[in-house]
Amino acid sequence: MLWLWILLGALVALSIVFVLGYNRLVRLRNEVDTGWANIDVQLERRADLIPNLVETVKAYAAHERGVFEEVTRARAALLRAAAPGAAAEANENVTAALGRLFAVAEAYPELRASENFLRLQEDLTDTEDKISAARRYYNATVMRFNTAIQSLPWVLVARPLGFHQRDFFSAQGDTEVPDVSFAAGAPS
Amino acid sequence: MTLQEQIRGNRLRSSIVVAGFALLLLLLAGLVTLVLDVSLGVAALVLAVLYGVFALAQSRSLVARMTGAREVAAGELQPLRRLLENVSIAAGLPVTPELRMVNDPAPNAFAAGLRPEKSYVGVTTGLLETMPKRELEAVLAHEVAHIRNRDTYLMTMAVVFAGVIALVADIGFRAIAYGGRSRRGGALLAVLAIVGFLLAPFAALLLRLSLSRRRELLADASAAEILNDPEAMALALQRLELDTTTVRYADASTAHLWVESPTERVGTDRGGMLEFESWFNTHPPTRTRIAALESAGGFRLSERLSADPPFASELLSR
Repeated sequence: MLWLWILLGALVALSIVFVLGYNRLVRLRNEVDTGWANIDVQLERRADLIPNLVETVKAYAAHERGVFEEVTRARAALLRAAAPGAAAEANENVTAALGRLFAVAEAYPELRASENFLRLQEDLTDTEDKISAARRYYNATVMRFNTAIQSLPWVLVARPLGFHQRDFFSAQGDTEVPDVSFAAGAPS
Repeated sequence: MTLQEQIRGNRLRSSIVVAGFALLLLLLAGLVTLVLDVSLGVAALVLAVLYGVFALAQSRSLVARMTGAREVAAGELQPLRRLLENVSIAAGLPVTPELRMVNDPAPNAFAAGLRPEKSYVGVTTGLLETMPKRELEAVLAHEVAHIRNRDTYLMTMAVVFAGVIALVADIGFRAIAYGGRSRRGGALLAVLAIVGFLLAPFAALLLRLSLSRRRELLADASAAEILNDPEAMALALQRLELDTTTVRYADASTAHLWVESPTERVGTDRGGMLEFESWFNTHPPTRTRIAALESAGGFRLSERLSADPPFASELLSR
């Protein structure tokens, strides 16, 4: 009779551990989703600013067609990219294209003095800052989630339960390691 | 110790302190019913709960009044607002807290509000005039961390708890002193109750202050994590430490809110006395806080301050 109780007790304890652990994984996954939504919002905001910027620069430097096309292409790619890795890649390309656009703008003093242009430039810088802030949070949540589903005992059951590793928001050629050294494994 | 371990350790200790509060209140209620009328005990508890609810409901506007924090108009101080937004995003807050200014030359900042969605961060004008951008960001991250870690909530609760305990103890004490007839039990019990009523508010105060100190260390660690830059937080603390202006509006009741203690100065090393003294402080000594960041981040802070221009100059140039 005693062993039956012991078995029952062990079973109850085990299921409590399982429920707590499962809920933790769900919470961590939700955090990753929220983190990604934060990045997405800022990427969209960046893409929204670009057409306006292109129009403004065009008004002063209509013949620089190559740069405008490049920026527009990069923006379209950014809007198409869905996965974190691809989006990071596309985002890098937008940064590069915008860099060239601003370099072109340097040659037009009236453009640089234009109120509209200055505000757009400021807004874009702000969006870039916000993307990097959101990226810091997102990568930290991914690190936490991936660590959780890679550790025992969850590594055994994570896949069947539908928990899959998430990608960092970092471009392929990115030599910089995702900046999560401090946030790694921090409790939520 | 890594930052994560510090955060975990601080959280555990905070829970223990909160449990201590609840225990103290229960103990008091027990004493009241044991020594005095049950109806009086119940009345005291009801009054205490009503007081608590009222205090919680009023806390937001009360803090704003006591610190003299004013709201910032929509277009004003845009760069500072953006800095706060970025820090909030990096912290994973659902909403950026409101920005409020305190017109005071002492560099300091605080956070208030029961829920993250209805919180605000108060910044003194002095902070903008002394802090370079990197350090200002660290201070903002510290305040945002208070909001994200629900410290503002916990600390408001702790203050209210301490007030409630003082109230119940006071009622009990007066009832014993003036209402001799309704007393039950022997003389020993009465003496015990009187000692309990006298000591409870004191214990509550010590608990509250110890909770406040834990939260400061946790917020420092969180700020370092949010910015991925523990050195910035340490630099900011060092600069605050070297600045000796105290906040004009601050008094003991709001001291726990600020990033650096606005009322007292813990600068000199007085050996054994310091340990005892620090029980009565809302903030740990700045040197302890910097040392914690140094050991977590694996760096040594140099003695001199960075020569970067203060953020206020950036505000003016626009």
